[in-house]
Amino acid sequence: MQWGVYIHIPFCRQKCFYCDFPSYAGREQQMKAYTEALCQEIAIQGLSYRQKWGRPATVYIGGGTPTALPAAYMTEILTAIAAHLGTDVPEFTVECNPGTVDRDYFKVLQAGGVNRLSFGVQSFNDKLLKRIGRIHSVEEAVAAVRAAQQAGFTNLSVDLMYGLPGQTLQDVADSIAQAQTLAVQHISIYGLQLEEGTVFARQESQGRLVLPADDETEAMYDYINEKLPQLGFARYEVSNFARPGKESRHNLGYWQDVPYLGLGAAAHSYLEGRRYENTADIAAYINRINTGASAGQLEEEPTPQHIMEEFAFLALRTAEGLSREKFAAKFNRELSEVYGRTMSDLEKKGLLTVDEKGCRLTAKGFKYGNWVFAEFLL
Amino acid sequence: MQNKNIRNFSIIAHIDHGKSTIADRLIEYTGTLSQREMEAQVLDSMDLERERGITIKAQTVRLDYKGKDGQLYQLNLIDTPGHVDFTYEVSRSLAACEGALLVVDAAQGVEAQTLANVYMALENDLEIVPVINKIDLPSADPERVKEEIENTIGLDASEAVLASAKTGLGIEEILDAIVEKIPAPEGDENAPLQALIFDSFFDSYKGVIAHVRVKQGKIKKGMRLKMMATGKTFEVTDVGCFKPQPVDVGELNMGEVGFVAGSLKDVRDVQVGDTITFADRPADKPLPGYRGVTPMVYCGLYPVESSDYDNLKDALEKMQINDAALVFEPETSVALGFGFRCGFLGLLHMDVIQERLEREYNLKLITTAPSVIYHVYKTDGSMLNVSNPADLPPQTEIEHIEEPFVKATVIVPNDFVGAVMEISQEKRGVFKNMDYLDTNRVMITYHIPLNEIIYDYFDRLKSATRGYASLDYELADYQESKLVKVDILLNGDPVDALSTIVHKDKAPSRGRQLASKLKEIIPQQMFEIPIQAAIGSKVIARENVRARRKDVLAKCYGGDISRKRKLLEKQKEGKKRMKAVGSVEVPQEAFMAILKID
Repeated sequence: MQWGVYIHIPFCRQKCFYCDFPSYAGREQQMKAYTEALCQEIAIQGLSYRQKWGRPATVYIGGGTPTALPAAYMTEILTAIAAHLGTDVPEFTVECNPGTVDRDYFKVLQAGGVNRLSFGVQSFNDKLLKRIGRIHSVEEAVAAVRAAQQAGFTNLSVDLMYGLPGQTLQDVADSIAQAQTLAVQHISIYGLQLEEGTVFARQESQGRLVLPADDETEAMYDYINEKLPQLGFARYEVSNFARPGKESRHNLGYWQDVPYLGLGAAAHSYLEGRRYENTADIAAYINRINTGASAGQLEEEPTPQHIMEEFAFLALRTAEGLSREKFAAKFNRELSEVYGRTMSDLEKKGLLTVDEKGCRLTAKGFKYGNWVFAEFLL
Repeated sequence: MQNKNIRNFSIIAHIDHGKSTIADRLIEYTGTLSQREMEAQVLDSMDLERERGITIKAQTVRLDYKGKDGQLYQLNLIDTPGHVDFTYEVSRSLAACEGALLVVDAAQGVEAQTLANVYMALENDLEIVPVINKIDLPSADPERVKEEIENTIGLDASEAVLASAKTGLGIEEILDAIVEKIPAPEGDENAPLQALIFDSFFDSYKGVIAHVRVKQGKIKKGMRLKMMATGKTFEVTDVGCFKPQPVDVGELNMGEVGFVAGSLKDVRDVQVGDTITFADRPADKPLPGYRGVTPMVYCGLYPVESSDYDNLKDALEKMQINDAALVFEPETSVALGFGFRCGFLGLLHMDVIQERLEREYNLKLITTAPSVIYHVYKTDGSMLNVSNPADLPPQTEIEHIEEPFVKATVIVPNDFVGAVMEISQEKRGVFKNMDYLDTNRVMITYHIPLNEIIYDYFDRLKSATRGYASLDYELADYQESKLVKVDILLNGDPVDALSTIVHKDKAPSRGRQLASKLKEIIPQQMFEIPIQAAIGSKVIARENVRARRKDVLAKCYGGDISRKRKLLEKQKEGKKRMKAVGSVEVPQEAFMAILKID
């Protein structure tokens, strides 16, 4: 049984200006108790699913900034994972923030079974890094990736962003070139989205945020999707590119209906067709775990319609797309019976390729992905 | 009850001057309902009425009151709808009375609408009893208001009752004034029946119930009666009065007010203003003042989902059961598909119907911009009534067009006279008259196209006069105007539902404004959308909705799928409120864009 584990570390040195994920700066005093609670949850929840399904295929420690935790706490977590979820997890990723990691930290990760690192770099331009509230410099980012490679990691990813304030097409091109030079195996590129409650949203409301014009952002998008495949990074999902065989199996799991157990504050789980969310409040999380309560809560009882819609729009995020065979196997209904008309409409609009295997986004379809996904809501 | 102890009256007041509070106090004071029953019953009217603070459906109530002379009096309060759309209904309610309370806010003074209704009451020979309400307000100035009443209406206000419905002050005085000043009804109770219908409603058990005032003769259960205008005959199954819930009393005598029912199925058989008489021994003539229902404003109503057509039809039919003023017929639009052309008494009536259709019947509707009825004289000598701009014949076939004009009466403090004139002139109004009501307030009369009123005339007046302007209007006549049709093309294709008829001189600016408003309303799509405004084949304005560059969901944080789902649902919901016109997704509000340009 293939399944994954997501572990959330809700700490950061500083909140980036665009970020509205559940992560908090200045909570160092909670780290110890959090680590203990998290290990407890791994021991109870993790173990029980391992007994049910065997060792997970993927483990992903994300945040926040997992590497904002002191190495000692990280060791405790890795030890708990090895003890309760198993050793030699085939894909074991930790998100790293340059500026929080050094060679010793990498050794700790490596010793704990981690075999894949994802670096939040966002841009190889110091001015832009400052403008978006990152704590590290370009030099530190480069040094971190090199140090990881020297430590023996051979499966590395960097996150980049486009559409940032003050960013030009040239900046995007430079960042991609830099990532290429660093010889990473995987690149995720996200367009900036303004989210409520972020520094950027506030600046925007005060008229202090100047974003690139729509055409400029579109040019960046086009450049990325043309250039990366040329460099040998295939687009296997809306925002993700990889060398052959280096796709993130964990992230693919989200789109391919693979169950996952989320551990830690604000972590999401997808288990036996139901989605759960752990409390996002760190103190509440610690308290619940310490009192023997579950941190998770069912988001909502899924209706058969919801399940079908999610199966469809999640699968469509991938290059492989929505498979007739998998759809029929899961729902005991033909894909065309449910979505035949939607698919042919979208095909006519040039957004979808439809064939005997199923359907998948065209280049234009990727560009208007949301529009296509929304059409798959019944 | 002896005739001499009956008093029939209504209340004339501007919105917010306290009509319903005074009515409530009278009901309470006379013990017709206890305070608890009041809350449960009197306030239990339509949600919309409460939200908008206006009366849409009139209420009638019989109050028993022991006068100062120790005798028992039957006071019939006939409530009137408080909006300019319902002028005719108001006139019929007033025709059912011998007197009216004129309620004026002690701080605000007389308003245009009040004045129009008072004049109407005077035309009906009603005795007016002035009541100055809200005298407990710090800003109350009853002496000034009295003076205003005397100057504007020419009524003796020296004996005006000073009241505060809020505190209960003056309620007994009002009741005594009704008894003393308003004349008792007069008429021959042995003559053939003449009963005036002033309202009606539909009851699922009893059928249509007519609110009536017996002018002569009497009504008893079992009688065979006849509607003089519609010719409908029926047998009386229920006859009674409102307290305020209907109470069966078996008969209504000359001078009394109450209800009659007789298994009538269709509200159209029971028309406001019609006279009920004996089927076998009819009165020699009906009561004066009847006229059929004439809608003033039309618009198209279309379901967003074409599969809702039948539901919309059912809903309209159900609404019509209780609303004789609502008319509709099927209509087809190239852009919007199958829908209905609906006629309303006015803009408020239109709003109320639309809102009820959406709320009570859960329908998603597209409403086209309201239109008046144009008289189109064709070169072949025929005349067409056109209420849908899309139906306007080609320019070459039109000899000339006439449009309805109204007499609009505006009352404002004199500081704002300039503003009113400027707006009215701009709205093609022709100045008729100006009167000083007192040293501060002025009444201005304009002859102005109804078409201009239904756009933003009142809103503009309000904002230019800091809310002080009050407006009343009545249909005056039809006059020739230089009118043209402005068409809108989206992506090169004309959209019939966006066509509008405007004055020739205003067409270029209206076209530009409309195109630029549509540009704001129509969301970016995957391709560029040219918007053009044209008269015939001549393009007078052009805008572009730029193509949406991309629409990509970013990062998925830690498998949080629900958040993605919510975003998509929002997107889908937004799309549901749009109508695909050709390849362009057009939001509902685009069809009302013409009302939103400034």
